[in-house]
Amino acid sequence: MTKRVLLAAGVLGVGAALVALRYGAPSAGLRAQQDTTAARSAYVAPVDVDTARLPGPKQPVFYRHDIHAGQYEMDCRYCHFAAEVSRSPGMPTLSTCMGCHLVAGAGNPEVEKVRAAYNEGRPIEWIEIHRLPPFVQFPHNLHVAADLTCQDCHGPIERMPQVYQYASLKMGWCLDCHHEEDVTTECTVCHY
Amino acid sequence: MDRRRFLEVLGVTGGGTAALAGCSTDQVEKLIPYLVPPEHQVPGVATYYATTCRECPAGCGLHVRVREGRAVKVEGNPESPVNRGRLCARGQASLQGLYNPDRVRGPMARTADGRFEPITWDEAIARLAERLAAASGDQIWFVTGHETGTFDRLVDEWLNGLRSNRRVVHEPFAYEALRRANRDVFNVSALPTYDFAAATYVLSFGTDFLETWVSPVEHARGFSAGHGFAEGRMGRYVHIEPRMSMTAMSADEWIAPVPGSEALLALALAHIIMRDRGAAVPPDALRLRALLAAHTPQGAAARTGVAVETIERLAREFAAGPSLAVAGGIGAQHPQAHVTAAAVNVLNYVAGNVGRTVRFGPEPTVAFGGGYGDLADLTRAMREGRVGVLLVHGANPAYASPAGLGFTDAMGRVGFTVSFARFLDETAMAAHLILPDHDPLEQWNDAEPRANVTALQQPVMQPVFDTRQTGDILLAMARRMGGRVGARFTAGSYKEYLQQSWQALQRRLRNSQPFDVFWAEALQRGGIVTESPPRPVRLGIGAAGAIGEATIWAAPDEPFTLIAYPSPVLHDGRGANRPWLQELPDPVTKVTWSTWVEIHPATARRLGIAEGDFVEVTSAAGTVTAPAYLYPGLREDVVAMPTGQGHTAFGRYAQGRGANVYHLLSAEPMAFGGVAHYAAVTIRNTGRHERLAKTEGRNRQMGRGIARATTLGALVGSETPEAAHEEHAAHAAPVPERIEHILDEWQEAQYAEARRGNYAGEHPRWAMAIDLSRCTGCSACVTACYAENNIPTVGPALVRHGREMSWLRIERYFEGGEHGEPLETRVIPMLCQHCGNAPCEPVCPVFAAYHTPDGLNAQVYNRCVGTRYCSNNCPYKVRYFNWFDYQAPQDPTFAWPEPLHWLLNPDVTVRAKGVMEKCTFCVQRIRGVQHEARLADRPLRDGDVVTACQQTCPSDAIVFGDLNDPTSRVHDLAADRRGYRVLEELNTRPAITYLQKVRNTREA
Repeated sequence: MTKRVLLAAGVLGVGAALVALRYGAPSAGLRAQQDTTAARSAYVAPVDVDTARLPGPKQPVFYRHDIHAGQYEMDCRYCHFAAEVSRSPGMPTLSTCMGCHLVAGAGNPEVEKVRAAYNEGRPIEWIEIHRLPPFVQFPHNLHVAADLTCQDCHGPIERMPQVYQYASLKMGWCLDCHHEEDVTTECTVCHY
Repeated sequence: MDRRRFLEVLGVTGGGTAALAGCSTDQVEKLIPYLVPPEHQVPGVATYYATTCRECPAGCGLHVRVREGRAVKVEGNPESPVNRGRLCARGQASLQGLYNPDRVRGPMARTADGRFEPITWDEAIARLAERLAAASGDQIWFVTGHETGTFDRLVDEWLNGLRSNRRVVHEPFAYEALRRANRDVFNVSALPTYDFAAATYVLSFGTDFLETWVSPVEHARGFSAGHGFAEGRMGRYVHIEPRMSMTAMSADEWIAPVPGSEALLALALAHIIMRDRGAAVPPDALRLRALLAAHTPQGAAARTGVAVETIERLAREFAAGPSLAVAGGIGAQHPQAHVTAAAVNVLNYVAGNVGRTVRFGPEPTVAFGGGYGDLADLTRAMREGRVGVLLVHGANPAYASPAGLGFTDAMGRVGFTVSFARFLDETAMAAHLILPDHDPLEQWNDAEPRANVTALQQPVMQPVFDTRQTGDILLAMARRMGGRVGARFTAGSYKEYLQQSWQALQRRLRNSQPFDVFWAEALQRGGIVTESPPRPVRLGIGAAGAIGEATIWAAPDEPFTLIAYPSPVLHDGRGANRPWLQELPDPVTKVTWSTWVEIHPATARRLGIAEGDFVEVTSAAGTVTAPAYLYPGLREDVVAMPTGQGHTAFGRYAQGRGANVYHLLSAEPMAFGGVAHYAAVTIRNTGRHERLAKTEGRNRQMGRGIARATTLGALVGSETPEAAHEEHAAHAAPVPERIEHILDEWQEAQYAEARRGNYAGEHPRWAMAIDLSRCTGCSACVTACYAENNIPTVGPALVRHGREMSWLRIERYFEGGEHGEPLETRVIPMLCQHCGNAPCEPVCPVFAAYHTPDGLNAQVYNRCVGTRYCSNNCPYKVRYFNWFDYQAPQDPTFAWPEPLHWLLNPDVTVRAKGVMEKCTFCVQRIRGVQHEARLADRPLRDGDVVTACQQTCPSDAIVFGDLNDPTSRVHDLAADRRGYRVLEELNTRPAITYLQKVRNTREA
């Protein structure tokens, strides 16, 4: 099955150096990794963003999808690992973050927030953005299996320094696609 | 950090459990991920754990469905030989024990002014250790419930280490009479297993084997296999008891003898079998000749009120085939109940059933221990000040013992009482220290429900509250005290102790696997099952002497005999704080949330008592008052009351509700060591009246032909078919050709719709078949439906208004019973019929009720505006309206006080106020299985979709599947000659086919 999950093509160039300058030197291991990908990276996440003008709610940690998914081309499913196998995409656990950030990003104040939370055993309370009403059942796994990309519903997430709601998520919006693709529009497929 | 916090909200799942708040996004919701992902948990995907049900001593295997670290549903474990995947209503409600809002949340100690105050575990253990060290061995008493496994041994060993042997087992339904009879007749103090499936003729002497007796789920499975109609054959079942219990409702014939006289009937039957040698009488039974010779049918007839011809016929029928007679039910536990049970043992022996349908296990150790007599001894010791430290675990003797025993008062004279209760029940309220145990679903433990079965219990989730397993406390105490008791235990924790015991078990079984493998396999399967042949038992030398000149119990000079029968729903009262069980209508009377006094309508007329009149029932032991329920299934000289209500503590759902029937029972232990559940009483109308909170409308069918029955004779062709419903069919108007045409066209159009998209291919038409010859009315399906579909409980006031929300209900109707006709009871599960031509659909102005292409009658909650037209137009009355907001904590109708809402099924919407709801055929399960099949790229197979009611049905009466699949079971059953559709003359075209009940009436 072909998957177009995460279309974003990113090329890492000067960005790595800029990030290093801005946030302090990354560890040796990460630098090496960045160097190997540098040749084919296209997208460079901006270093400074005007956080006041970003759409979407301010999160407890300024986690940047544009750096992780855009610049570093991490697969969405690395963190949202359940999207393929479950109706729920799953929020990454803090230990997933710490898999890299035990080493990477030291000194970055936002990374330090994550580390502190992990060390204190305190989960980070993210603000929910894509929220369906409780009478809607949306299976992520079936939509992934149907070769939809994450971006089809969540928008250009790999370019978002701060995540905002891209699609209306209203029923008409669902049905547009279901009509177009000749998929069932039976009520009890989603409502029960 | 409290680990439980992480389980509270997880990621974007669990949305289904939140309020139906509309599409607004103005509320800020938080996503709180785990710190560390729990093993084997994928958000949104259920995990199943095998464990064992501890709601009664039967020990059924469980599969607990866990989502995001929380148990959300319990189902039977198909690998357990006890229940084979099925479960009763009490088992289904075990989740409400786990998440009960009234659980003790941490250790507590009583202060000087009598209140309970939270303390730390360290302090609690220190206090107990201090008291134990100060007490001498024989002053330490330990009361437990029925325990059969490692915990049982631990308590004994622990007490032994403290130089005490004061162990009391208090199980209110301990079958002392049956055990005494087995000892008297067979020299075995154990309970045998009963093979109902192999018996073509079952004779029950007041035994509620489908309700509480020994292992009801197992019996229901066997009974429906033996008695359910299949391929022109079925067994016959005769019930002998002054009251028609739920079990007796399934009987082909109900005989109501003089209360207490059943032993004479059993002996007369044995007399006839011996006389006629109808069965191959075992040679040593000849020793009984003298005894049986004295019990002629004529003599029995005179004293039991049963005609000689009936006795002769019963004996002939009993001797003819593989048969089974059972006795020893709590509802028949009169002062001479052990004689009844002994007489029935003799009857089984004479008929050659022992070793065939009655099998004793190879190990006589697997038995119920103790009995009420031990509790009486303890009470005496308490009163005499001989008890220094009393420990109580898993028992509530202050409630479930006759008031005359004075257990609570005697507790006041105990130096120090420690309760391991999970609830502040009557016994815990009188304790000094409360060390709450884990719920059985949070525990490590094991049980040996019967020979050859060792069942394991494992925690299915993190403990909900700050509780500790009692086994761990005992071990910690032993370590702390050191010396003799400390030296006995090497295990650091109870789990380790349990594993040591399983290592010993593995050695006994000569299993050569590494222990880890053995253990892991046992955990996965829920325990182990061994094979060993049954132990042959022989008639004891003293058998005849034990029965002797059988004394039948005759009620003293009072007008009525009271039967305090075991509630099939609340059991001995342990289920009373579970709202599902309180709201579950009693299978016989359909009364909820209450106690009642069953009185025969003729008696009530004579005494001027109407239904709902409060009746004062007075025995030598005391007086209780409860509303009357007029029940034709009783002798006129008998009144009956269920156990289970009348709690003075225990929690918000149980407290102050109904009356405690134990207050009427004699505190004197009977000859067999148990409590007599019969008492001589007088009754008086108090003049007070209250409408009963019952779900019964009419108790007669009034010719509507809802629950239909036929006879075996009619089906096998020896009799003409019953004409009972022919008048009924005449009401049906013929469907005009043009309407037929329109319906067909419409259906075709629906199928064209179904061919689109996801569900292309052979379009299913979901349908159900319910076999009324198997359904016993036990109501397990009702509670399973509540559990699966997030159905709120509404309380007695709303039940009186007919606002209960049970998507699936069991209707119970009486036939006959007047003018000398025998009384017959019929039960029928009534749920949305998913009509092909549904009356509810066209009247919905907003298309909330509509028909899906796969044959479901759907209800779209977010469309519903609450006109209730659909409900008004539904001839089956299976639509339920949310009159109140059952999910608002500030409302008095709040149905899920924290943490009870944790049991909500995340796959099902919790409906809001103003919305109509009804049975969905478990559409969430259908879609779930369809999604899975689609992802695996395979077609659906028959049996893939199992609805919650079908899954739990102990008698396998419900079959669900695709009507369009010619190979499906439901397709066959829909065309069965017993099949009919309720109210089909209305042309509703229901998707549910009922198969007529079959009565095995006596061949002419």
